[in-house]
Amino acid sequence: MTDPAELSRREMISTTAAALVTPLVNLGAARAARAAGAAGGPCELAPRFLTAAEYALLDELTELIIPADAHSPGARAAGVAGYIDGRLAESLEPDWQALWRSGLQAVEGLSRELNGKPFLEATPEQRVAVLSRMAASEPDPKTAAERFFAELKGQTVRGYYTSKIGIHLDQEYKGNVYQRGEFAGYDAK
Amino acid sequence: MTLVRVPPPLEQEVDLSKTYDAVIVGSGAAGGMAAHVLTTYGLHVLMLEAGKKLPIEQELRSMQWPYDHPRRGDAPPGSHHLSFNEYTIRTPPYAKGSAFKHVYSYVGGWSGSDYVKNILVDEKDHPYTGTHYAWVRARCLGGKTNIWGRLALRLSDYDFKAKSHDGYGEDWPISYADLAPYYDKVDLYLGISGVKENLPHLPDSQFQRPSKLNFGEVKLRESLKKTGQVLTPYRAGVTTDGLKHNRYRSKCYGRGACDRRPGGCDIHAVFDSPTGLIYPAMDTGNLTIRPNSTAHEVLVDKNTGRARGVAFVDSVTRKSYEAKAKVVILAASTLESTRLLLLSRSPQHPNGLGNSSGHVGHNFCEHVMGPGVTGLIKELVGKPHTLDDGRPGGFYIPRFRNLKDRQPGFIRGYGFEGNSGHSMFPAHVMDTPGFGAQFKKTVRDHAGAFISMGAFGEVLPRYESYVDLDPELKDAWGVPVLRFHYQFSDNERKMAEDMVATGREMLEAAGIEVVGTDDKVLTEGWSIHELGTARMGNDPKTSVLNQFQQSHDVRNLFVVDGSSHVSASCQNPTWTIMALAWRSCDHLADEFRKGNL
Repeated sequence: MTDPAELSRREMISTTAAALVTPLVNLGAARAARAAGAAGGPCELAPRFLTAAEYALLDELTELIIPADAHSPGARAAGVAGYIDGRLAESLEPDWQALWRSGLQAVEGLSRELNGKPFLEATPEQRVAVLSRMAASEPDPKTAAERFFAELKGQTVRGYYTSKIGIHLDQEYKGNVYQRGEFAGYDAK
Repeated sequence: MTLVRVPPPLEQEVDLSKTYDAVIVGSGAAGGMAAHVLTTYGLHVLMLEAGKKLPIEQELRSMQWPYDHPRRGDAPPGSHHLSFNEYTIRTPPYAKGSAFKHVYSYVGGWSGSDYVKNILVDEKDHPYTGTHYAWVRARCLGGKTNIWGRLALRLSDYDFKAKSHDGYGEDWPISYADLAPYYDKVDLYLGISGVKENLPHLPDSQFQRPSKLNFGEVKLRESLKKTGQVLTPYRAGVTTDGLKHNRYRSKCYGRGACDRRPGGCDIHAVFDSPTGLIYPAMDTGNLTIRPNSTAHEVLVDKNTGRARGVAFVDSVTRKSYEAKAKVVILAASTLESTRLLLLSRSPQHPNGLGNSSGHVGHNFCEHVMGPGVTGLIKELVGKPHTLDDGRPGGFYIPRFRNLKDRQPGFIRGYGFEGNSGHSMFPAHVMDTPGFGAQFKKTVRDHAGAFISMGAFGEVLPRYESYVDLDPELKDAWGVPVLRFHYQFSDNERKMAEDMVATGREMLEAAGIEVVGTDDKVLTEGWSIHELGTARMGNDPKTSVLNQFQQSHDVRNLFVVDGSSHVSASCQNPTWTIMALAWRSCDHLADEFRKGNL
């Protein structure tokens, strides 16, 4: 290469094409979800850290926090529970793992207290009521369930907004692509 | 993918039996610049770097999407990054007794630690003691230039002659006119992006194509104009038009998420020392580098008291070696160069090398940071999302305090670094309460509608702010570690209060609703701009180096990094470090040729 500071035309075309394909903007939600599965998407195999019951509970909680809507798929399609389970499975921090076990138990406990039945057997309204109680003192959590909500929400948004669905379909993020000419924006006049 | 595929030059064989013209300790901005200048003059130079020579493109992966990384960019399990609380509640050594396998400084905590895990030092191997201090160190070829924040600013005579202006501290032994030609050389050799503003307190550079501003930034710029203040596009040490003389670097394509901090740039549009300075210097045939070389003493000739070389241990094999040279140049970073001087005790230099003044380690200064404001630009809520990043940085608001006015509470000043618009991760998400459909929509509607800025303020150099050697503790290579005696004073605290109040006024005047203020001053060291511990001066009794960064005591010893700075200014130091090193090495080469060294 005689002048490596200059991008070759062929490289530029392939790079730009890759950037255009990646965002998945033209794909339907179901296809996008399958695509997301390739990189930590919905857990098609058995969960690695959580039990099947814990995993199902977590999957539902994440979807309640970031649900699918008319604009974009939610946390379930983005494979957030699988992401969290994977992080827990490879963690070397027993305290953090224990926090999730006890946190999910606290959710079940709260569900029985409020609704008299396990979380996943409750109606959608009853599930929201449980989560609302957990989120009630969000800035200053006091109970175990309230403290767990902060962790649950933190990991859920982390998993969702770093996923293909979160970045490209929900946020419609435009960056991380080659800009061949001017930078985007306005001149400082 | 990587655009620039020119591999690093082949390494020369390291011949420790020969006496090099110069040995340089450290390969960051200062060491790289010294190597560039001296090899251009034909001197035979050996560079010792304590860390590895990394396949840096594979480390940085600047365009990797989070979902293409198994942990979304996080470091492997067992790694831990120190938090603000740990830095302030506990005392150094921070990694002591930690259950984690690896402990790193705060840098890269969130969103990027897997990209810097081999660049930053493991605090377990590199302890220090004393007062709270967030000491960020990078040991690898290029040091911190691999991940620096890119803001490339000049100092002015408001800084070099600050004592003449307000009576505090010392003036530098040089003025802006002495350094301006060297700032020009650095600009042209390495590339810098920005907009000319004609400010006496923030001189313009020889700029390449500037990055642009987004809606909120233009709004704030227009508003500030009314009170004579300036918001200018980030002055970035980035080549945006390309550099015909450098085959290792690409120009900036506005790609990558440059706000991934620490980001690095795997096409080297951002200046880093290896591709910007060291590889071209190796191409002259005059530079030999030896990575994995932990220097622990500058060796001194028993008869003359002059430097004769550097003792080091191989960082991997732990074998001891000596490198012989006619001139010794320290460029190991402010505090590591200082540590080396203090470690180099001999009968001729009982307090450490070049320390007859007793000032080595003292007059420690840097930038205070933390206070800042965040505003919401209402016009942007719910609007289609735009491309706002893919640029080296957002904006900079230069110093405005104590130029013409005199503030009642503090001397010197501060500038704001800021950013606005969309980023890959919607940072406001954790401040958005609740959950569910409304939460999700609020996050989406508010994405890109915020503008944030944080201040960097000058910390005054004080003799009683210092580092010395810990009498007991040693690092993993058996080298005594530094002990900190350093705390912010009232001037910094008063300045920090003004930062918050003024930031709020600026946003409100622009019609931007302030939705968050941060009045917390971050731990000492957080700015990674430590300076001043081997300062220059005309008087050998109160300074360590002369105006050419040459030891007053030892003629063939130079210290060309930030330790030589007389005061911190509030402008980021990297560009000044390189301009000073270029000027000093010009002088050094001249003296060398004349046989004066």
